[in-house]
Amino acid sequence: MEKQEFLKNLQEVLEVEQTLTVETNLKDLDEWDSMTAMLLIGYVSDEFGVTLTGDNIGEISTVQSVIDFIGESKFS
Amino acid sequence: MGSKIRAIEYYLPDNKVTNLDLLSRFSDYDFEKFESKVGIKTRYWASQHETALDLAVKACEKLFLRVDKKIIDYVIYCTQSPEYLLPTTACILQDRLGLSTNIGAIDYNLGCSGFVYGVSLAKALIESGQVENVLLVTAETYSKYLHPEDKSNMAIFGDGASATLIAVSDEDMIGDFLFGTDGSGSNKLIIKNGASKYAFDPNATLLTYGSDNHYTDNHLYMNGPEIFNFTSEYIPKFTGNLLHRNNLSIEKVDYFVFHQANAFMLDFLRKRIKAEKDQFYINLEDGGNTVSNTIPIALKRLLSDIAIDKEYIIAIVGFGVGLSWAGGIIKINNKL
Repeated sequence: MEKQEFLKNLQEVLEVEQTLTVETNLKDLDEWDSMTAMLLIGYVSDEFGVTLTGDNIGEISTVQSVIDFIGESKFS
Repeated sequence: MGSKIRAIEYYLPDNKVTNLDLLSRFSDYDFEKFESKVGIKTRYWASQHETALDLAVKACEKLFLRVDKKIIDYVIYCTQSPEYLLPTTACILQDRLGLSTNIGAIDYNLGCSGFVYGVSLAKALIESGQVENVLLVTAETYSKYLHPEDKSNMAIFGDGASATLIAVSDEDMIGDFLFGTDGSGSNKLIIKNGASKYAFDPNATLLTYGSDNHYTDNHLYMNGPEIFNFTSEYIPKFTGNLLHRNNLSIEKVDYFVFHQANAFMLDFLRKRIKAEKDQFYINLEDGGNTVSNTIPIALKRLLSDIAIDKEYIIAIVGFGVGLSWAGGIIKINNKL
């Protein structure tokens, strides 16, 4: 998946108002809460077949950190 | 000889707590999002002096308005909110309900998989010729285990009780069951203190999880992401195995009635199972996640809402604390 498309999908799935970039820290978003975490886990699992664990969710900061968990090779 | 679910009643306590009520306590929480994603509008919490057994008695008394209590020859009581460490709550229930003293009565400690286990145990007792009329009771008051600053779990969990009559029948209406257990996940949904391993600690440290929720080891703790992952990894395949075991395909199942944990998670599971929306029952707006009570409540509501013009094949699947999961196929051709 192209990173641009990923950013667009993520913004839609997480129902975030501001435009996301790879540098956006998800946890600084007004919308970030445990439900956003649930939406993120669901989306990443469906789209990439990758499971974000509770610990991963704790460690996540920027969108790039999510990309790192998924694996940079899955993006172009 | 077969067995059949003849009747279900449930009882929710009077104290109704709406999302607006919770919003007035937790103004920074997005209850609009909670309502649209998790799908809960109201939950009911037992009052200070009301126990799970009190709720169970109310549910059973409702059942006995149309079922003669003299026929009951076995009580199976599912709870994680027992009246005492000992004796067995089912024994007290026998007395409170005025049931015959010539009956069996046991408790078992399971959460969200509990009702499915109970139906399977009742079927086994009946079809092995040991008893004829089993009263399966689920009763839970998780609200008493929640820390007052644990807004996420307060929003999710409600109290309640259910009473189900499972009886011997010429019709074979309860099919095969499958079970799953993974105790390595026991710390993902747990109340650590207060039983044998760790004593209740009046000076327990205040802990934080998720989006600024507080609890101590005296309280209920749930690792939401891990429970979500466990469910999404295990339950779709498990459901497939359950259907295979019962020689059913997805299309042959009229309704999937899963543990009503969280609407988003249920719809996520539905898509993985590849079930249609109208096959997959999601209804937890009123009552929330009542642990072992959600499946009997959902069955009662579903069968009240549809016409009984055929024999419905229903897959029931419960999953959660333990970690424990169970599934079974039931056929229903009567109002419950």
